[in-house]
Amino acid sequence: MSGAADREAVFPTRQSLGIMKAKLKGAETGHSLLKRKSEALTNRRRLHHTTNIALEITRRIDEAKRKMGRVMQIAAFSLAEVSYAVGGDIGYQVQESAKSARFRIRTKQDNVSGVLLPAFESYLTEGNNDFGLTGLGKGGQQVQRCRETYARAVEALVELASLQTAFVILDEVIKVVNRRVNAIEHVIIPRTENTIKYINSELDELDREEFYRLKKVANKKQRDNAAADAEMKARREAMEKNESGASKQDSGPADILAAEDDDDVIF
Amino acid sequence: MEGLLFNVNNGYVEGIVRGYRNSLLTTPAYSNLTQCETIDDLKLQLGPAYGDFLASLPPNPSTSALASKTTDKLISEFRYVRANATGSLAKFMDYVTYGYMIDNVALLITGTLHERDTRELLERCHPLGWFETMPVLCVATNVEELYNSVLIETPLAPYFKGSLSHQDLDELNIEIVRNTLYKNYLEDFHNFVNTHSDMAGTPTAEVMSNILEFEADRRAINITLNSFGTELTKADRNKLYPTFGKLYPEGTLMLSRADDVEGVRLAVDGVHDYKTFFDAVSLGGSSGPGNMGGGSADGKSLEDMFYQKEMEISKDAFTRQFTYAIIYAWVKLREQEIRNITWIAECIAQNQKDRIGNFISVF
Repeated sequence: MSGAADREAVFPTRQSLGIMKAKLKGAETGHSLLKRKSEALTNRRRLHHTTNIALEITRRIDEAKRKMGRVMQIAAFSLAEVSYAVGGDIGYQVQESAKSARFRIRTKQDNVSGVLLPAFESYLTEGNNDFGLTGLGKGGQQVQRCRETYARAVEALVELASLQTAFVILDEVIKVVNRRVNAIEHVIIPRTENTIKYINSELDELDREEFYRLKKVANKKQRDNAAADAEMKARREAMEKNESGASKQDSGPADILAAEDDDDVIF
Repeated sequence: MEGLLFNVNNGYVEGIVRGYRNSLLTTPAYSNLTQCETIDDLKLQLGPAYGDFLASLPPNPSTSALASKTTDKLISEFRYVRANATGSLAKFMDYVTYGYMIDNVALLITGTLHERDTRELLERCHPLGWFETMPVLCVATNVEELYNSVLIETPLAPYFKGSLSHQDLDELNIEIVRNTLYKNYLEDFHNFVNTHSDMAGTPTAEVMSNILEFEADRRAINITLNSFGTELTKADRNKLYPTFGKLYPEGTLMLSRADDVEGVRLAVDGVHDYKTFFDAVSLGGSSGPGNMGGGSADGKSLEDMFYQKEMEISKDAFTRQFTYAIIYAWVKLREQEIRNITWIAECIAQNQKDRIGNFISVF
């Protein structure tokens, strides 16, 4: 806020002062709204976790990943069991006999204070058992069990993906909102305030100039009047002198009206 | 009587195979393997048995690389024995490879059905089931062509003929095709060892019948268990059961009618071995029907017990002399050994040491 430099380029008029005041008010309202939104979002994250947000997020994702690791390990091991029981590679056959996806996901959109969060939801299609006969001769049970284990692994994967996507998006939105809050708080509001201050000072300046000018005008008028009065007086005195010469001849009636010789009152 | 002239033609092969059997890993060797902390340690421990084959592996190889290298050893030994075999023994060894051939052909059928480039699949085929004309099958672009080439080019033709048409390849699930073929193969093999003039009435026929009957029963039971909850109808299922074995015919009939594990249990009640398996499974893990896998650490699954039994039969085969069956038994023992090594390697690689003892050690 480098003083007067940081203000908007407006003419310091009363109209623009009005505009600026309206703008400041708008900025303050917006600031409080955005602030509340940001809080709402962090609270949304707080719904999942209890206290320290950042710590909780990492902890939760960490947890999900660890679970993932465990499940994947079990799954990989069940594959080892299959290769032990079948005594060969069944991968190709499984690949080729799978026709349609058994494990599918739906995406939903969650609306959290105006932010659309995708949520993945997994489900199994019923009656889809493409390679149900794999390992019919031997190892069939292990194949089926392995399939179930891997289905669980994929489920965990989907859960993790859902969590992480939500977090990434939420994080992005929170960042944007916080940036806006900060921008309004630290840039727009001070600048508007500065502008208002500037307009005010300019207007005051103008007022002072105007006052000074009026004063000058009044002074001048006074002086002019005084000069005019003096002239008038001089003229009158001259006239009086002329008249007094004449009144010395007929002072009788004149005495009644003007017993005393007082000056004219000039206002 | 069979001992009189056996060694003239087959003595060398028998000696070699017995030598191979002696180089199989023993229980102390396995317990050394389970102590390993890394795959590299494991590689080192396997050194005496598999040295030259594992030498080319990079440090810390993947378990699948390990498995394929150990299989390579089996393949090269098998090829050596096969090259030295003559007459009916050679034929017998070809029969041994037909089982793998069925898997390979099923793989190619899958590829052709889905219009993949089947040439890429050749690498995935089991080397034991490799036959010279196999690349020819890759020329086929549709199932009918493939069907005709299989009939012409492969020794599997008799198994296709009569039970499968080319429309069947299109319509039936590949697993059903595979198991139909396998059933035909087992029956043919059984017939072969019992009727061939060199083998009928010899220990070969005796031991091999025993092994094949067990294999047939195992497949019948497995197919039944695995078909619960699938679209496989009982009538179709019945067609997949081999028509011999200890369970045949009453047990198989009951199996074909079984609706759940309990039904299977009733069906196998007549055979003591299988009855014990089922009792042990129901005692060990009551994890429900269809879920026989070792949910608990020590509970052995039905599959495990079948493997165990197979290994015992195979081991017993070596107590007989003048028989071809030891070759079959040796192949099976080696396969189990490869599975064991892979399992131990997986357990080490995935840090699941608590289940590392789940392998089957025979000697």
